[in-house]
Amino acid sequence: MAAATTSSCLLQLGLARSAAAQSAPGYRALVCVLLAGGNDSYNMLVPVDDDQYNEYAGIRSDLALPKAELLTLPGTTADGRHYGLHPGMPELQALYTNGDAAMIASVGTLLEAFDAEAVAAGTAKLPLGLFSHADQINQWQTAVPDARIAKGWGGRIADLLGDVNVQNGVSMNISLSGSNVFQSGDSIGEYAIEASGDGAQGISSYDDGTDWGAFKKRMIDDLLAVPQQHVLRREYARRFRAAIDAQAVFVEAMQAAPALQTPFSEGNFSQSLRQIARVISVRDVLGATRQTFFVTVGGWDHHDEVLDNQARMLPAVSRGLGEFRDALVELGVFDEVTTFTTSDFGRTMTSNGKGSDHGWGGHHVVMGGNVIGGQIYGDYPELSPASPFDVGRGIYAPTTSVDEYFAELALWFGVPTSDLATVLPNVRTFYAPGSASPPMGFLAP
Amino acid sequence: MPHDATSRRTTGRRLAAAMAATLWLAACGGGGSGGGNPSPPTTPPTAPPAPPTAAELDDAARFAATASFGMDHDGIEAMAESGIDAWLDAQFALPVTRHLPIVDALIARRNAGEFTAYEQDIEYLIMFRRLSWWHATITAEDTLRQRVAFALSEIFVVSDNVDALVIDPVSLSGYYDMLLDNAFGNFRDLLRDVTLHPAMGIYLSHVNNRKSDPAANTFPDENYAREVMQLFSIGLFELNIDGTVQTGTDGQPIPTYSNTDIREFAKIFTGLSYGGSGAYFGNPWPGFREPMRMFDNWHEPGEKHLLGSTVVPAGQTGMQDVEAGIDVLFNHPNTGPFIGRQLIQRLVTSNPSPAYVERVARAFNGDATGVRGDMRAVVRAVLTDPEARSAPAPGATFGKLREPVVRYAALLRQFGARSDDDFIANTGYFLQGVSRQHPLSAPSVFNFFLPAHMPQGELTTADLVAPEFQIATSNAIIGLSNLIDYAVVGDFVTDAPEPFLPVSLDFSDYIAVAGSVNDLLDRLDRVLTAGTMDPATRMAIAGILNDVADPNYRVRIGIYLVMISPDYAVRY
Repeated sequence: MAAATTSSCLLQLGLARSAAAQSAPGYRALVCVLLAGGNDSYNMLVPVDDDQYNEYAGIRSDLALPKAELLTLPGTTADGRHYGLHPGMPELQALYTNGDAAMIASVGTLLEAFDAEAVAAGTAKLPLGLFSHADQINQWQTAVPDARIAKGWGGRIADLLGDVNVQNGVSMNISLSGSNVFQSGDSIGEYAIEASGDGAQGISSYDDGTDWGAFKKRMIDDLLAVPQQHVLRREYARRFRAAIDAQAVFVEAMQAAPALQTPFSEGNFSQSLRQIARVISVRDVLGATRQTFFVTVGGWDHHDEVLDNQARMLPAVSRGLGEFRDALVELGVFDEVTTFTTSDFGRTMTSNGKGSDHGWGGHHVVMGGNVIGGQIYGDYPELSPASPFDVGRGIYAPTTSVDEYFAELALWFGVPTSDLATVLPNVRTFYAPGSASPPMGFLAP
Repeated sequence: MPHDATSRRTTGRRLAAAMAATLWLAACGGGGSGGGNPSPPTTPPTAPPAPPTAAELDDAARFAATASFGMDHDGIEAMAESGIDAWLDAQFALPVTRHLPIVDALIARRNAGEFTAYEQDIEYLIMFRRLSWWHATITAEDTLRQRVAFALSEIFVVSDNVDALVIDPVSLSGYYDMLLDNAFGNFRDLLRDVTLHPAMGIYLSHVNNRKSDPAANTFPDENYAREVMQLFSIGLFELNIDGTVQTGTDGQPIPTYSNTDIREFAKIFTGLSYGGSGAYFGNPWPGFREPMRMFDNWHEPGEKHLLGSTVVPAGQTGMQDVEAGIDVLFNHPNTGPFIGRQLIQRLVTSNPSPAYVERVARAFNGDATGVRGDMRAVVRAVLTDPEARSAPAPGATFGKLREPVVRYAALLRQFGARSDDDFIANTGYFLQGVSRQHPLSAPSVFNFFLPAHMPQGELTTADLVAPEFQIATSNAIIGLSNLIDYAVVGDFVTDAPEPFLPVSLDFSDYIAVAGSVNDLLDRLDRVLTAGTMDPATRMAIAGILNDVADPNYRVRIGIYLVMISPDYAVRY
C-alpha cells in the first residue's frame, strides 16, 4: 500500500518534471531572505495618516517611532492610505519609489481565511504552534502550517524543476546560511557556500598539481571509496564525497566570475548578497537555468531593546538590498532575479516595557526587475484596539496567507499551474491554480 | 559579531600548508628509516595483574567516547582495569573544574599589563571565556562532568551572539560553571539556577521584566515563559514515559500548554533584576556574579493559573511564585522523558528506542530511589543502559555523528596536548569558522541543530533523525577535515595569538609502534574508533601508510586519515 503510493507519487513527479523542464524559459532566480527571530515589521511599515498614526502610537506606546522620522512612500493604497518606512531604510524607499521594490502587508501562516469570531469561539483552524519560533520559522519555509515537516517549498520546487540544470553536484538550491528547511526537498537539498572567497573550500592541497597533492588525492579517494556498512557512516561518506566533487565544479566556475564594480558594504548580509550576485554571474558556467538562494539575517527576536536593535539592523537590510539591486543591474539580470523577505512572524503591537513579543502577521519586501514596484500589496489592517484582527496583546492576524505570497513567486519562477499544489499543498484554500488572475499580482508574468 | 577571525584563519592556513609541505619534503628525504621501535622490556614485572583483554579495552574506549571529552590510551587501560561503574563513581566524586577562576586569572594578567599591546583590542576580553573553556575541557580530570555540562549547554542554550553576553567573559563562564555545579546535582536546582542566572535573564529577556501596566498598555515579556516550557522542561506535546507523543481522539498530538499558559508563566517571571550591591529593579548594568534578585514591587500581583491544574495564590512573594512555577515544570510527567531523551541524543545515540528513553525517564522520576531529578542517576542511566552498552553492530541504527567541538577536543585530549606555559590556549575561532559550532555560541535558543532533524534521503526513508548532520554541510565536513590536517600533519594545533604559547601534540607512543602499520592501526582503532573501524577502511588506510616510510609522518597521516574517516566521524 505504502509502496504503491510512493511509486505513483514518484511517477507523477517524474511526469511533472519533464513537463516543467520543457516549459522552462530563460534563467530565473529566487532569493529568500529570512529575518530570523521575528522582525517587528509594524515598525518597518507604518501608517502616516494622522488618524492611523495616532492609533499606532497609542497602541505601541514606548515602541512607537516618531512620525516625523518615517520615510514616507509615494502614492496611496487602494483605500487611500499613506505609509512610511522605518527611518533607517532610505535605500528601500528609493527602490520602492523607482518601482524596483514593493511591500506586502500583513502576511502570515493561515489554514483558512482569518475569522475573528471563529478564533474567539475556539472553532477556527489555526496553524500549529502559533506564536512559537520553532513552528513558525518552519512553516514560513514549508508553507505547511498544519504539520511539522522538514521539506520546504523551495525544496519541492527543486524536486520538480531541478532537472533543468546541468547535473554536476551543485544543487539548484544554494544557501549562504547552511542547512535550512526552505531548500530541502525529497531528492534535492541545499548546496551551502560561504560569503567569503569563492564560497566553497576544498580539501587542503587535494590534486593541486604537486606530488603531495596527488598523494593527498589518493588518500582521500581511497578512504571515501570504502563502502560503509553503518547507515550514518554511509551518509557521512556520501556527503564528504559529494562535497569534494561539487567544490571542484563550483570553485572552477566561480574563478571565472567577472569582477563586480558595484561596491558592497562589509556586513554579513551585504557580503552574502555579493556572493549570490557572483554565483548568478557564472550561472552559465554552472549550467544553471533555475536557482534559489537562501540567506538568513538573524537576531530579530527583540523582546528587548527593539528600537535600538532595529535602528542598527534594518539599515543593513536596506543597504544590502540597494547594493544587490545595483549589482544585478550591472550584470544585466535584475529582471531575472526576485528577492523576497520572510520572517517567523510579526510581533505584538503592544509593548512589554522593553520590546515586543511574538505575534502573527507581518510586512515584507519584494524586489526585482519583474516586480511591479512602488505599491503595497495585501491589506494593511486598520489599527485599533477594537480591530477584529487583534487577537490579543496587539497581535494582528494576517490578511494575506503565505500561500498567496509564495504562489506568486513560485508561478513566476516557472512552477506549472498544474503543480502549484504540489509545491504549496494548502494553496487551494486561498487561490485557485489556473485562475485567470494572479495570486497577488506583484510580479509581471 | 564583533570578532573577525578571517585574517588569522588565512594566516593559519598558509602556515599549516607550509608546514605540511616541509614535513612532506622531510618525509621524502628521510624515507625508509622504518625505525622507532623501542626495545621490549627484558624482565617482565613481578606478579603481573591480568591485563584487560582486547575486547575489554575496546569496550572501555567505546564507553569513554560517550562519557568524556576524549581519553588517551592510558586512560582507556585504566578504565578497563577499574571497570565502568568504579570509573563513574570516581568521576562523580571529583571536585568541579570551574571555568570562571581561569577567566579571573586571565583578567588579573590583563590588569597586570600583560596584554598591554592589545589594550585597544576588545577581542582579548571576549576571548577569555573561550580560552577558559578549552583549557578546562582539555585538562580537566572531571571530564564526565565537563561533557555533561556541554550537553546541558545545548539544551539550556545561551549564546554569545548577544552583545551583553559576549563582551563580559564572566557572563558565559559563570553560566557554564552553574551548569557544571548542577550537572551531578538535582534537576530542580538546575532549572531554578538556569532561570535565575543573569546570562539567561539577558538571553531570554526576563531580566527587568515588569509587571503589567494597564495605563501604559504594557504586559510581561513572554519569552522566557515560552522557552522554559518548550525547550527546558516539558516540550510541546504530552509524552508517554517512553518519550513517544500522546495523541488525542482526533489523532493529533496533545499540546502541553496554551498561549494562556504562556501569559500566566510570564507573570511568574516578573520582578527579576541583577543582584549584587546597590541592586535595583531596572538596573541596565549587568552583574553576572550573583543570581538575579526578586524585586516584589515589580512582580505581577494576583493569582496565576499554571497549566490548568495549579493555582499560585495571590499575595505570595515573587520568589515564592518562581519556586512554585519551577515546581510545576519539574514535577510534570513530561520532564523526565523530554530531558532524558535529549541527554541520550547528546551523549550516546541519535535514535534511542522508547524502552531506553523510558528507563532513563524512570531514573529521572526516581522510581527506584524515591528521589526525583537526581542527575547522577540520570547520567548513569543514560551511559550504562543496556542499549548503550550492547555490542556494536554496523547493521543497526544505534550511533551518532560526533559534533565538531567534541571531535576537536578529543584530538587535543587523546594526543597529549601541551604547551610550555602549561596553558592550552585555543580561542576556537578557526573551529567555529569552519564548523559553525563553538560552546555557548549557538545561532539561537534552538541550539546548533534540532533534536528532530532528519536529513533527506536514506535517513528520511529509514525514519531516522540525525541532529548533528544539520551542521554537517559540504564546507563544514571539508573545513573540519582540513583543521585536523593542520593540527596533526601541520603542527598548527590551536589559534590563540601572542603572548599565549603554541600547543603541541605528542605522538611518541604511536611512533613507537609505527614500524608496523598493523600495530599502529590496532592502536588507532582502539583509541579513536573503539574497535569499530570497518575492515575495508582499515585496508584503505593501510595501503596509504605502507607507502609512507618515515614513522613520524606515517603516524601523522594515519591519525589524520582515521580522524577524518566516516568510521570516526560516526560512532556506534
